[in-house]
Amino acid sequence: MRALYIASTGMAAQERNVEVISNNIANMRTTGFKRQRAEFQDLLYQSYRRAGASTSDAGTQVPVGIEVGSGVRVAATARITSQGNVTPTEKELDVAIRGEGYLTVTLPDGRTAYTRDGALERDGDGRLVTVDGYPLEPGINVPEDAQSIAISRDGMIQAFFGNSTEPVQIGQIQLARFVNTAGLESMGDNLFLETPASGQAQVGFPDSDGMGNLLQGYLESSNVNAVTEMADLIAAQRAYEMNARVISGADEMLRAATQMR
Amino acid sequence: MIENAQLIGLSRQMALQRQLDVVANNMANINSTGFRAEVLLFEEYVMPVAADRTFPYGDQPLSYVQDWATVHDMQGGAIVQSGNPLDIALQGDGFLALSTPEGERWTRNGVLQINAQGVLVNQNGHPVMARGGGQIAFGPDETDVVITPDGQVSSSAGAKGTLRIVEFDNPQALTRAGDTMFAGGEPVEAQSTTVLQGAVEGSNVSGITEMAEMIRVTRAYTSLADLMSRQDEMRQSAIQRLGNPNA
Repeated sequence: MRALYIASTGMAAQERNVEVISNNIANMRTTGFKRQRAEFQDLLYQSYRRAGASTSDAGTQVPVGIEVGSGVRVAATARITSQGNVTPTEKELDVAIRGEGYLTVTLPDGRTAYTRDGALERDGDGRLVTVDGYPLEPGINVPEDAQSIAISRDGMIQAFFGNSTEPVQIGQIQLARFVNTAGLESMGDNLFLETPASGQAQVGFPDSDGMGNLLQGYLESSNVNAVTEMADLIAAQRAYEMNARVISGADEMLRAATQMR
Repeated sequence: MIENAQLIGLSRQMALQRQLDVVANNMANINSTGFRAEVLLFEEYVMPVAADRTFPYGDQPLSYVQDWATVHDMQGGAIVQSGNPLDIALQGDGFLALSTPEGERWTRNGVLQINAQGVLVNQNGHPVMARGGGQIAFGPDETDVVITPDGQVSSSAGAKGTLRIVEFDNPQALTRAGDTMFAGGEPVEAQSTTVLQGAVEGSNVSGITEMAEMIRVTRAYTSLADLMSRQDEMRQSAIQRLGNPNA
């Protein structure tokens, strides 16, 4: 009675599906969050009667065989890297990336991470840092006496000093993009790490070479859509229940078998 | 005769167990992208043993149950908008061709990715085949992948080739290779299949049908078990009565 084990793979897969959905819903308001989707695939098939086997000396063949599958597995939790809505924040150091590309940040352990979360701040030394205090790469220092800061579409940062109306250029934000963004490793805190699957980071300035452009005073909200997540949650829950029902059906058959005299 | 009835019941019970396995597998894959449900078919197996036909009421031919084939239910699944430019759904009977280390494989699962080398691959990393052979590859600085209804792939750097989409005169000849892939068959270039970008095709398993099937299978199984225990009782009482020296 393999139905018991097959249905249990179905239940395990739906459990994982609900985990992915609940993580999406939990991060509905997370800046720059990209939703994930659990992808399922069927497991190997056992062939009881092979199609194409000969059934007589006259050369007749089995037209259709018997193949019984062995369940399901989660193949991937792919991130859907579609653009999230940009929402105005009126904060001069908030930047939203419209299009492809990630901001590059240096982690305290020296590694490089990538993020879509453009909520930047100035730290005590005047460096531009993320909300966790990790500096941008290449580092950009904002002088202490800068009055206001303008960030252009192509990432150019200009500061105004004193009563001067002439802006002074103090740096340019760089973006990184990947051939396979779905291959990035999520490390939490809105950060991603490069992996062999994602390919090498291609570094460039915004608004050129296929990079997205920057929008000052806005943040990219998550691309989670509450309605589709709820629909997915209901579908996953029902699929779980149906698989549980198959297990009790198999159990009923086994009970009938054990009660035979 | 009584033993025969039990053996016939047993053949049905074995077939029912396998049918529940098929139902369970369909149910487990109710959310697998591009999955095609299986249907188990049965046939009668007439026992070809020597029979006594000299008397007007000779032996009746006995027929056992045997499972005969699992056919692929090739109905389309629900098309779900995913918004991901590398997701494609096939409308029509076609399959996407993949090149795997074991040879060509066919799939309805159009969740594609671009790997680190820029090649268009499926979830398992098998390259998607282009029409006329080869792969579809993108450079690192290309954006805006567009896939047209006839399967032409292009990006900001221009045309990249056409997806190889195949159809089969007899899709039932395909065998299942796991990972929502099919193997074998005689592919011909697709005529009536269109590609929909930004959507995926769900599994075509119908939960209600499978539940109904499962209830039918379990009930049939229990009623057979009941039948067989009655047969056993009959035999028991026959032995008791006939074996009684006072009878």
